[in-house]
Amino acid sequence: MILGQHAVIRSAEPDDASALLGLYDPSRPRCCLLDGRREFIIPTRDEIREVMNQKEMGRSMLYAVEDKAGVVRGFCSLRGVNLEASFMETVLMFHEDGHFDTPLAEEAFAFLVQYAFVRLKLGKLIAYALDTESSLRRFLLNHGFQSNGIQREIVFWGGGWHNIEAFSLFRTNGASPV
Amino acid sequence: MAVKSKTFLRRAEREDLDTVVGWMEDPDFTQFLYGDPARSPRQIRETIVQMLGRSAGQTVPGAIYLVIDSEEYGPIGMLSLQNISWRNRACTLDLYIGQKHLRNRLVAAVAFVRAMEYCFEELNLHRVGAFIYAFNERSWRIFEKSGAVRELVLPKHVARDGQLHDVYGYGLLRSEFEAFKAKHARSIENLMSSMVDDHRSSEPAPENLS
Repeated sequence: MILGQHAVIRSAEPDDASALLGLYDPSRPRCCLLDGRREFIIPTRDEIREVMNQKEMGRSMLYAVEDKAGVVRGFCSLRGVNLEASFMETVLMFHEDGHFDTPLAEEAFAFLVQYAFVRLKLGKLIAYALDTESSLRRFLLNHGFQSNGIQREIVFWGGGWHNIEAFSLFRTNGASPV
Repeated sequence: MAVKSKTFLRRAEREDLDTVVGWMEDPDFTQFLYGDPARSPRQIRETIVQMLGRSAGQTVPGAIYLVIDSEEYGPIGMLSLQNISWRNRACTLDLYIGQKHLRNRLVAAVAFVRAMEYCFEELNLHRVGAFIYAFNERSWRIFEKSGAVRELVLPKHVARDGQLHDVYGYGLLRSEFEAFKAKHARSIENLMSSMVDDHRSSEPAPENLS
């Protein structure tokens, strides 16, 4: 458990299933919750709990981000390690976009950066954002990520096509660990 | 589009196994593939069997594997459509030319066009994407000549021979492919020739689209 000044970051547990389910908002899909084919899915609470109960969950590095009152405000994660090329994907998601402008997001991000670049000694972090995730995009760019381009019309929902932007952050870019 | 060619796509048969495994065991070929280069021949064979088995006539398959065949040369390569999303009408394409002497030939461009026709005109997809290593220039050149857009440049994204290399992400929308066909309707064979001509006399690097 990481006790920050504003946030508590801890491994996600099966009891967090409801909080995680709340992020699967069909009116506001999040890129990090699309499946491998970039399709929007809505799992049941039981399915999420079942996944979180699996032993492998301990290695999946999904963390709940709580405020000081103990309310889960979002989740962060590192996933999809590529050992050869030394990178992982960064995941940051909050129930309210406004949290990207708060110390909660700052502390969660600092935790991920420290974990990836200092502890795991990775060379690069990658991230993805849908064209509707403007808060996430702004946060990534403000924290040293560079845009690597946009995959056009790759997701369909709400009667239209949507784009996904890819980002990367190298260890040498100076994102200082906590 | 009437392209006169003896190259065609077909479902993979069990008897294609030895041919495909032979390609997969060639280091010159696997350099352009994802995956563990230290896989044993048995593991490679099991992977291929699994892949070919999945191309059966499912109603909504998540992946389709086809053999690129030729009346002149026999099996030339393999086409795989991965991560097919019927909701997004999108997939990612891997196109492998297994026979080395054909890698820098018109057949690569023909196979690509055949693949796009299959994706857009038979499967009714909206978008085809592909990830190609930056050093595999002749492959991404074919994509670009067909109207595909280099959407992503993923820096230092793949390790080969102790070096990190960039990976390009391409996207080709149905409307772009239709525009490509309309523009070159009368000279599609010449266009496909131009997709590979520039490199026929250049360095003998393998020609895998992946």
